[in-house]
Amino acid sequence: MLNFDWLQSVSTGAAKGIIISLFILIGIAVWFLKKEYIVLDVESPRPWHNLKWWATGVLILIIAIYLYF
Amino acid sequence: MLAGIDYAIVIAYLVGVLLLGVYFRKFVHTSRDYFLGGRLMPFWAIGMSLVVSDIGAVDFVGAAGQAYRYGVVVANFDWIGCVPAMILAAFVFVPYYWRAGVYTIPEYLGRRYNDYVRAAEALIWIVFQAFGLGIIFWASAILLNTLMGWPKGVSIIITATITGLYTVFGGLAAVVMTDVVQMIIMYIGAAAILIMGLISVGGWNGLMEKVLAMGPEYQNHFDLILPADTTTPYPWTGILFGLTFVLANAYWIGNQTIVQRCLGAKSEWHAKASMLWGAFLKLFIPVLVMFPGLIAVVVHPGLENGDEAVPRMIRDMLPPGLTGLLFAAFFAGLMSSVDSSLNSTATLWTKDIYERYIRKGASDRHYLLVGRLVTLVILLLGVLTAPLSEKFPGMYVYVQTLLSFFQGPTLAILLLGMFWTRTTPAGGLTGLIGGIALSAFLYWKKASFFTIEDPFLYISWWSFVGACIMTVGVSMITRPKPREALYGLVFRLEERDAALQAKLRNRLSRNR
Repeated sequence: MLNFDWLQSVSTGAAKGIIISLFILIGIAVWFLKKEYIVLDVESPRPWHNLKWWATGVLILIIAIYLYF
Repeated sequence: MLAGIDYAIVIAYLVGVLLLGVYFRKFVHTSRDYFLGGRLMPFWAIGMSLVVSDIGAVDFVGAAGQAYRYGVVVANFDWIGCVPAMILAAFVFVPYYWRAGVYTIPEYLGRRYNDYVRAAEALIWIVFQAFGLGIIFWASAILLNTLMGWPKGVSIIITATITGLYTVFGGLAAVVMTDVVQMIIMYIGAAAILIMGLISVGGWNGLMEKVLAMGPEYQNHFDLILPADTTTPYPWTGILFGLTFVLANAYWIGNQTIVQRCLGAKSEWHAKASMLWGAFLKLFIPVLVMFPGLIAVVVHPGLENGDEAVPRMIRDMLPPGLTGLLFAAFFAGLMSSVDSSLNSTATLWTKDIYERYIRKGASDRHYLLVGRLVTLVILLLGVLTAPLSEKFPGMYVYVQTLLSFFQGPTLAILLLGMFWTRTTPAGGLTGLIGGIALSAFLYWKKASFFTIEDPFLYISWWSFVGACIMTVGVSMITRPKPREALYGLVFRLEERDAALQAKLRNRLSRNR
């Protein structure tokens, strides 16, 4: 049980799917945050201040990496 | 092994970093300037500092050695082991720490729970950082002795003097700004060996073809995901549950050495952005640091010790000049680890122990002086304890193992404290102490519970789960803090309460 024996039948392909789904879920969660929370103390917010795009960019790159390897 | 030009590059680097670091002395007038860089630092510098503080000189050789032995699966520690945790830190934890105006993670825990939790967490970190410093010095001295033939004492004294001088005088600002230079040097040095290596094996495609043709034991060398029943220490279950869910989060949201620089950001936005910028830069670390280990599989096959891979590649591939640059990169890795450790330990001691329990209400000038003196004392302690590693060869592994005992429980009380208002001080303390005890028990009985040789990922996960259960259980039967006392410490609590009050007001006005 402590060794996660119950997950040993899950293939590495399915495991990769779980991990990529996790990245996608994080991306969705980020977009649920209010924009005011992201740019709370920015006096005159520009589009590049929206950190949701930054997070999305990083997540796209890591998804590409996990798809490749 | 080094030519004249290589020595010139290394010396120029060391002198340059020293001058840059000491320059920041003129900006340090208060303890806030010293411990938090005056809260004036921009996201780009903090993000670069985050990345370089995470990679030490020994990692250059050790991570490539692991990649030589196990393949790209090791890169999980920098990819899935960083990016999700850094995003969580950026959007949830770092803004709340920054808003609370705290200097340390234990200070946050003290406000959220009580002084016992604060003191316990601070003491744990101080003890491990102090011991860890000696080990970093010794491990790096061995590496530099092997690579450059420098006597161990010489490299320890040089590193300690330079990092000591700029950290004692310049504080966090000096640490972060020298880290920026160190990161650039590190990336250029590592890129040099990567590019030369790839050229020698016929590019990326040539590398893959050659490694995969070397036999069945290399068939998984380009797989990031290994089966759950793998005999390596990296089954996907351990990577997901132990690394991604526990160790990575504990590191990026609960490690004072890391988080302190975000607390010195010039605004909340910069604090958030620094983590995301750092996450982007982190994506390149496996490529630069571990991939040379994969190249060595082709260039130097059959090495018994994978840690010999990078030193051999340096010797055989790099021309004079580039070799010096790579050695400067080794020093950069070493110095960034030492300065971060010094500064964070001095902050923990001064703010969480000295100011709280030994001398309350002294002048700010006094705390600034104490911070500088403590930095010096810890440095001396690190230098003096470094040779102990030779007498106790397993010490590095023991200290790392003991440190991993605290990661799961610390994360448990941070997460529950941030997201659940019902978590009580008694629950937090029980979760922390009980979780550590559970980690120790699982480690002691690891042969009975686990089938893989080094189950640290699984132990981290189960100690986290155990600490969560203990915290929730005790919280349910003890008295929580009033909601108002948790404003600014629990995620979106004021916002939720304001929305609730608005709804109540609407309902009342309609009923009238």
